[in-house]
Amino acid sequence: MATQIDFARLSLMDALDLAVLIEDEAKERYEDFAAQMEQHRTPEAATFFRLMAGNEAKHGQELADRRSQLFGGLTPTVTRAMIFDVEAPDFDEARAFMSPRQAMKAALASEVKAHAFFVAALPALKDAKVRALFEELRDEEVLHQTLVKAELAKLPPDSGLSDDDFVDEPAAQ
Amino acid sequence: MSATCEFQAKDYKSDLKPIWCPGCGDYSVVQGIYRALAAIGRPPHEVAFISGIGCSSRIPGYTTAYGFNTVHGRALPIAQGIKLANPDLLVLAAGGDGDGFSIGGGHIAHLIRRNIDITYIVMDNQIYGLTKGQLSPTSQKGRTTCTSPYGSLENPVNPLLYVLAYGAGFVAQASPTDLAGMASTIEEAIRYPGFAFVNVQSPCVTYGEEAQQIKGLKAISESLAAMGHDPADRLAAMNLAQQYGQKMHLGVFYRNPEPPTTYDALVRERQALLAKDALPKERILDLFIKK
Ligand SMILES: Cc1ncc(C[n+]2csc(CCOP(=O)(O)OP(=O)(O)O)c2C)c(N)n1
Ligand code: SF4
Ligand SMILES: [Mg+2]
Repeated sequence: MATQIDFARLSLMDALDLAVLIEDEAKERYEDFAAQMEQHRTPEAATFFRLMAGNEAKHGQELADRRSQLFGGLTPTVTRAMIFDVEAPDFDEARAFMSPRQAMKAALASEVKAHAFFVAALPALKDAKVRALFEELRDEEVLHQTLVKAELAKLPPDSGLSDDDFVDEPAAQ
Repeated sequence: MSATCEFQAKDYKSDLKPIWCPGCGDYSVVQGIYRALAAIGRPPHEVAFISGIGCSSRIPGYTTAYGFNTVHGRALPIAQGIKLANPDLLVLAAGGDGDGFSIGGGHIAHLIRRNIDITYIVMDNQIYGLTKGQLSPTSQKGRTTCTSPYGSLENPVNPLLYVLAYGAGFVAQASPTDLAGMASTIEEAIRYPGFAFVNVQSPCVTYGEEAQQIKGLKAISESLAAMGHDPADRLAAMNLAQQYGQKMHLGVFYRNPEPPTTYDALVRERQALLAKDALPKERILDLFIKK
């Protein structure tokens, strides 16, 4: 995760725009992962990643609506280049033939990462409204973790066998 | 020509779905290229993207630029021909460490000494990915692969030092640990008027080692700008480049502050000079027919 944000000077509009960009980035990465899984005939993991992309899109839309209610069409001053991998899983978290459990664990790790981002930013924030927003976002990450954990709990118990015993490495392309 | 207008990253994304292994670092490189091209703003039909053969060399197909997935090791000579035939094109060349520094290793020196305005992106994963994990020229000494079952006895090529020593005017390194940095580095390379080289540490998740994956790379990465490195200082760049394999310095190692005239511009000048004496097409054969 890397950012170039001056948290002390963050306005509420910038903070909302950043939050939208963070959700957008995560949505795109999950969509990418889902496409990779579909391409490699791993439909269960693909379905889960599409679900995550849908969640991120929904949350991003809610934040975007709030932003436009408060600030209308004012031009954003923050850009996508200022954030990286805040809530999006790392590029190499996807793996060939991922089981649903592995996919969910990758998503859980990202929610933990996003939570850590908001926690780390809080002490630097000066604006009370921005602080309240970051606290809300931090708590939402905990909620997301709970949701992913609930999905994990629904899975049948792990067979204890390794996928490596059953599948070849990906075919040379 | 070279119209510039508003383009977004998605305008450079083709409909072809990448078939790289899930998690392959090359997914991030193509994203970095989309963003860099959008920032440059040249329409896709003014961009020619040439590659060799390898997993990484599939990359032109995932863009909307004109593309040519050529022959193993031959991206650079073909890119050179395209640039000379149509200097108005923005020409990108790309490929793997094997493509660029093994079979194609002889070409890079000549593009550098000619200083052709091409941006060359090597996706360095220290392995032959496409052919299932053989030793590559950048594999570390001691590396065990299917072609080095007892560990490699060879020292790796240092791509950064290699191109700096040949006199490249722009030398940089990027990685998927910093996508925005990768995009801006590639953008800067494209904007450099002359031969520009970007080494991207792009992990192979299938045949790469743990330390070469994103978490391992993050642990050894350091931003050249944050270190206060002066990219106009070629000797300092060479000094830093020595640490290839131990440290991963990100950003611009060297940018020639006074870029010399490019070969394509010189060729154009020469053509203009000779144009007045040029024979019309239908009389060219006369040169070869004895009267
Ligand atoms: C003339 C020729 N020799 C050998 C090959 C086999 N071959 C295809 S790709 C490749 C190496 C690929 O490694 P690299 O260039 O590092 O690309 P990567 O797949 O790692 O991205 C080799 C040896 C070939 N296609 N053509
Ligand atoms: S073999 Fe390696 S380099 Fe090739 S697509 Fe798979 S992960 Fe990428
Ligand atoms: Mg390679």
